[in-house]
Amino acid sequence: MSRQNFAPQIPYGTRDFLPRDARRKREVETTIAGLFARWGYDEVVTPTFEYLDALTTGVGGDIQHNMFKFLDKNNRILALRPDMTAPIARVAATRLTQEEWPLRLFYLTNVFRYEQAQAGRQCEFYQAGVELMGSPGAGADAEIIALAAEAMLDAGLKQFQISLGQVEFINGIMDEYELGATERQQLKTCMVSRDLVGLSEMVAASRLCAASQQLLRDIPVLHGKREILKQAYTRVNNTVSRRALDNLSEIYCLLESYGVSEYVNFDLGLIRDFDYYTGMVFEGYTPGLGFPVCGGGRYDRMLAFFGMDCPATGFALGIERLLLAMERQGLKTVGDSRGIYVAWREGMLNAAIAAAGALRSQGHMVELALHAQSAAEAEAFRQRKRFARLIYCE
Amino acid sequence: MTSSDMNYLTIALPKGKLFAPAAGLLAQAGYTAAGLKEDSRKLVLVNEESKTKFIITKTSDLPTYVEYGAADIGIIGKDVLLEENKDVYELLDLKFGLCRMMMAVPAGLRREKLTDYTHMRVATKYPHTAEQFFYSAGMQMEIIKLNGSIELAPIVGLAEVIVDLVETGRTLKENNLVEIAQIHSSTARFIANRVSYKMKFARINALVERLKTLIESEKLQ
Repeated sequence: MSRQNFAPQIPYGTRDFLPRDARRKREVETTIAGLFARWGYDEVVTPTFEYLDALTTGVGGDIQHNMFKFLDKNNRILALRPDMTAPIARVAATRLTQEEWPLRLFYLTNVFRYEQAQAGRQCEFYQAGVELMGSPGAGADAEIIALAAEAMLDAGLKQFQISLGQVEFINGIMDEYELGATERQQLKTCMVSRDLVGLSEMVAASRLCAASQQLLRDIPVLHGKREILKQAYTRVNNTVSRRALDNLSEIYCLLESYGVSEYVNFDLGLIRDFDYYTGMVFEGYTPGLGFPVCGGGRYDRMLAFFGMDCPATGFALGIERLLLAMERQGLKTVGDSRGIYVAWREGMLNAAIAAAGALRSQGHMVELALHAQSAAEAEAFRQRKRFARLIYCE
Repeated sequence: MTSSDMNYLTIALPKGKLFAPAAGLLAQAGYTAAGLKEDSRKLVLVNEESKTKFIITKTSDLPTYVEYGAADIGIIGKDVLLEENKDVYELLDLKFGLCRMMMAVPAGLRREKLTDYTHMRVATKYPHTAEQFFYSAGMQMEIIKLNGSIELAPIVGLAEVIVDLVETGRTLKENNLVEIAQIHSSTARFIANRVSYKMKFARINALVERLKTLIESEKLQ
């Protein structure tokens, strides 16, 4: 049997991280975990699989179709987590109620979605993220956005942009125009599927006045810096939308203090895939990657589904997407360089072990030869495996 | 080079019927490149002056190029968007390339009601569109995916029903096929990658506005 026929396959949507990729991944994860810890966030680890009900609580229906599901012995439905927001909400609302709130939690783990694999996203992919629970204020939202920007900077990205929106802006407009349930659903479907032609057709067929129609058409292009908020303010006549704009303005002010406002653009048509958002939402983009590298927002109603009515905000960042973007932008992460190779002449293994030990205790990465080599052989091997240095014990 | 270079705008154009009107419209809007022809041997055409790149792709692949951001924007038929179901911004209806997605059968097989065709075999280049249509009509069908010459299938007994794109209806008539139902009508659309639309917003939005004006003025003539 040829080797090709024998090679076992791995399932669609999974991947192996070979040493070079695994090393880059570990480095980025270590950097980001360190950053989260410096901002006062504590790590939590939750089960890879849970009861389906717990994972879909407060999340909305659609994600269910994209979950890997199976049965336990008693035929209860289990599923692999598609996202970490619901598990962390569950942990916070059921296990950490006695803690001093607000809570700052982070995670760095794999999640699973049964869907068409995309650039930098297989069915199993890795996410780093934070959740800040217990504060309804713009301060918490600004901290989350600033932390997302710092995470991208710390990881090594130089060029990126954060688009910032507010779901209440659109909700306020739909209330103001007294749209019925069907119209709301149509409007939302068009916006979620980014179908601006469909949106325009739907609006033209409605009974709304010309100015209202124009505003609904313009929502996706309300995109820019501060002037966009002013412009939007004059075009709406309801307190919900105006409060949403004030909220964005307040967050932006704080982002100026954090020193990251240069990366932030307002985008009042920003729609996220998850239904659970109730306030500001944002996405991070970087050149060369056709998908967002991170995203998040405020979700004030989810914890109530777990029995604790409490506001929350957070974001997640795709590790593979980050690595892919950095590779495409030609940004080298460390990790390609190897350390020291310690080789030895016949009978010198004991000395070599001692030498390797001494170097390791100084923090060097050391690989010890497993059999005796001549100095020439050792040097050739060092070059082939790209060690920075050779120590030869003779 | 990928579209990671922020200074360039990469435009994808489809081979086939939409190419000429799409390239023509973009040229009117000031976006063109030397040697931009459908049968161009070069894979990427660059206009250094206007910082624009053009790629020419197979029709059904175009949404994929845009979804992944390999092209920032593109022009493609709504029929392809409905079939491929990719996550891209659909920014503008360009009004040209009008055609209809039809269900048709040989004249001899014509039945009274749509549901009388249940369980027949359907030959199509658009299996997803066909499946959606029959599903919403409450019909179970056997779908056979073909890559072209769909009209041949009922003649040789590969299928009873076809679902295909119809422009004038002449091909159907020539092959003695009759239209049973229109699934949707389609025109060319201007699409954008979801990240490019945000990161190159000013440039893309200006182009959308320019195209809107051009389409309006054409309508008046």
